[in-house]
Amino acid sequence: MPVSLEVRGLSKRFGGIVVADAIDLELRAGRIVGLIGPNGAGKTSFFNLVSGVVRPDSGTVALEGRDLTGMKAHRRARLGLGRTWQSLRLFPSLSVLYNLLIGARHYPGERLATLILEHGRVHRAEKAGRQRALEVLQRTGLDGFAHREVGSVPFGQQKLIGVARALMNEPRCLLLDEPMAGVEGQAYRTIQSLVRTLAAEGISVCVVEHNVAFIRDLCDEGVFMFAGRVLARGTVESLIADRRLTELYFGT
Amino acid sequence: MEYLYTIAILMALNVILASSFNFVIGYGGLISIAHPVFYAIGAYGSALLARDGGVPVLLAIPAGALIALAASVLVALPSVRISGDYLLIGSIGVQLGILEAIKNVGWTGGAGGLTNIPALLRPGTDHGVYVALVVALAVLSVLLLHWITRSGYGRAMSAMRDDELAFAALGRNAVAMKVAIFALGCGLAGLAGGLYAHYFRFLAPAQFDILQSAALLTMVVVGGMRSTFGPILGAIVLEVLPQAITFLDLPAGLLGPMQGILFTGLVLVFMFIRPQGLIAAGSVWRGRALEEGHAGQS
Amino acid sequence: MFSPLILVQILWTSLATTSCFVLFALAFALVLKVNRVFNFAQAAIMTVAFYAAFTAVARGGAPGWAGLLAALAGAAFMAVALQVLGFRALQRRRASSMFVFIFTLIVSELISYVAMLLFGTWPATIFPSLFWPVTMVGGIAVSQWDMLALGATAVALIATFAFLHLSRIGQAMTAVADNPDLAAFYGIDRNRAQLAAMVLAGLINGLAMFLYGTRAQVQPTSAIELLLFAIAATIIGGIGNLGGAVVTAVVLGLVQNASVLFIPSEWQGFLLYFFLFLAIVLFPRGVHLPVRKRPFRTVAAAARRPEEPAGG
Ligand SMILES: Nc1ncnc2c1ncn2[C@@H]1O[C@H](COP(=O)(O)OP(=O)(O)O)[C@@H](O)[C@H]1O
Ligand SMILES: [Mg+2]
Repeated sequence: MPVSLEVRGLSKRFGGIVVADAIDLELRAGRIVGLIGPNGAGKTSFFNLVSGVVRPDSGTVALEGRDLTGMKAHRRARLGLGRTWQSLRLFPSLSVLYNLLIGARHYPGERLATLILEHGRVHRAEKAGRQRALEVLQRTGLDGFAHREVGSVPFGQQKLIGVARALMNEPRCLLLDEPMAGVEGQAYRTIQSLVRTLAAEGISVCVVEHNVAFIRDLCDEGVFMFAGRVLARGTVESLIADRRLTELYFGT
Repeated sequence: MEYLYTIAILMALNVILASSFNFVIGYGGLISIAHPVFYAIGAYGSALLARDGGVPVLLAIPAGALIALAASVLVALPSVRISGDYLLIGSIGVQLGILEAIKNVGWTGGAGGLTNIPALLRPGTDHGVYVALVVALAVLSVLLLHWITRSGYGRAMSAMRDDELAFAALGRNAVAMKVAIFALGCGLAGLAGGLYAHYFRFLAPAQFDILQSAALLTMVVVGGMRSTFGPILGAIVLEVLPQAITFLDLPAGLLGPMQGILFTGLVLVFMFIRPQGLIAAGSVWRGRALEEGHAGQS
Repeated sequence: MFSPLILVQILWTSLATTSCFVLFALAFALVLKVNRVFNFAQAAIMTVAFYAAFTAVARGGAPGWAGLLAALAGAAFMAVALQVLGFRALQRRRASSMFVFIFTLIVSELISYVAMLLFGTWPATIFPSLFWPVTMVGGIAVSQWDMLALGATAVALIATFAFLHLSRIGQAMTAVADNPDLAAFYGIDRNRAQLAAMVLAGLINGLAMFLYGTRAQVQPTSAIELLLFAIAATIIGGIGNLGGAVVTAVVLGLVQNASVLFIPSEWQGFLLYFFLFLAIVLFPRGVHLPVRKRPFRTVAAAARRPEEPAGG
């Protein structure tokens, strides 16, 4: 399967803390990789570095052969890098539908000049975006919530909104930061099957998750991180079986 | 009659200034106090173009607005790139620094002021025409800003204020958006400046000092930040209140400080007692009916 | 073109003049570090300090030391009032950082208008004369004020740093600055630490403003301009780094005062805006990416986390 995301030598330190230490990682189209490791291992930091939200000290990132190094976060997103946040980061002042519309891929109305001078075009894009948002809502089982304020939606559905929002950009690679934390029931199953379908559509997925059952059921491969380094990669089973890693994980 | 005209024009100009300032600080979340300086740049730019450059007044006014807009982009680009705090600090520097420059160079008339600015109207024309022009432009400005904030662009501004990182990670360019917001707001202030210059035909740096910043902040905070009518109400209240003080017949030396205390004191009172202002804007973004797509939301 | 002696003379006088500015920068950097507020209301503290000393000495005929006490008391009072009535109330209400900015700005403007109302807009000084006795030391004119200002500044700097590192409350202030949540975890009272920082900054301002007002004329609007210098020094020096702010203030002060050598004097004041511009464009160091705005924390404060580390 072709390489989707390619990370080489990604490093970052904050003062004395090394959050990424020469990380090399490849994600392949259609494959789901589970990123595991104890709290503070640098998993979220890795996502921040890859998505351009934090500037690395060194290292390169490429998506489908295209070099993203040094690019701003918004450009990476437009080129197909989608992500969600451990702490959700939804837009509380917008309804669910509008939260999704912020992620719309083509939005000419984002330029003030276009908005004023080419209103017709903006209007059409707005309609198309809305159409797509409604589809994504349907797909994520959120259609009943479209016009609710995000704060009033149950927590599991809020997590889904985070994923749905990232899908608006038609990502080629999706980074999910603890999508299952605090989620159960219907939302759990929806996220699970959604991630599967997305991968089947050829998207590369990287999931950070503490829920071992979820990782084992879903991921084709596991990567174990500790103190900013990739310590091991292989099948999830083999990582779980490794005594050394479990000890690091539970900090004995 | 002349007195009423003057008040009407000042009120309309204040409506432009307060609404555009509200656009910048309220909707854009960009903290700046330099709005009066862009007002000044528009006024001086237009006045000098018309007086010394021989440009027809009708062209000089929009040109002044464009100069203010360009200047605001120069200010916003370096400071907005890093984080919002820097714009505030930069704007204080610009506010004090440019006025200092206007006071010190010869071709602006220096601290004494710029005189003999050509009028827009031919001598003998009824000044009511000018009132109508300025009021019309004020109404247009307010409508334009209202329209923008209720469009998808306004929705994006709302999201950007909520969470800039999440906004960027969804493919939206927050820096470009902030620069555009700042530029439009400051350009409108520049337009108001040109309109001022060619009616009153005299400009002095003192008219654009930090007292003006305080007054504008008061209009927005007291009127109601992020509402369309709040700043308008604020502008009207703040034009009427100082006039009332003028009637008290205070000595000239006390008048300025008294107005300043009134403006700043009002802001403080409102900040603690009614932070949402006279007209409260809801915390949830609402688009215009067409964009809502549904009659009743949620 | 200049004799070495003249150069040394200019350097010496510049250094002395810079001393007050160093203290303004220290106070600003301290409050930014501990309370995480860009405290533009420092201008209000400075104005109150000056006019307190002015009232005591120039109006009331009190001796110089009483003027200093008045300045210290006025500044400390203003600082406490700001913290208790202003910042704390806003913090409790989880006001946005924009709101806090507006508050500090408006307070400093309000105080300058009150000063205009009470004392007029013309420049004033604490002592009737700005002239201090001068002695010649190896060919350089050293005025008593130079000695006084440099001595007082040195003492204030040493005392501040000693206080921050050695006293319990000083250490608490540093802890709160480094990590408010952790400090709270260890039972350090953030309110107290922040109040202490404001008072300490107030006292530093009181001293500095007294020194400044015995050597230069002050108007109700002077403090805002003086403060800009402190802000530029703080940004260039690296936010959160008090020593950096102090050293930068010395360097900037020397450059600005020595600039009489190479630029016309009416443009000397302009240099400040140039510094500020440089600070913003070239030296936004110590600034990480903006985070989702948490109430009452400035986005530019150092050591920000783009995403909260996992809580559990
Ligand atoms: N902006 C930052 N400044 C300083 N330290 C940070 C910053 N971001 C993350 N860290 C630190 O980096 C380490 C890794 O954090 P994180 O990536 O959130 O781990 P994980 O997601 O694996 O739990 C933690 O010790 C955290 O405190
Ligand atoms: Mg994490």
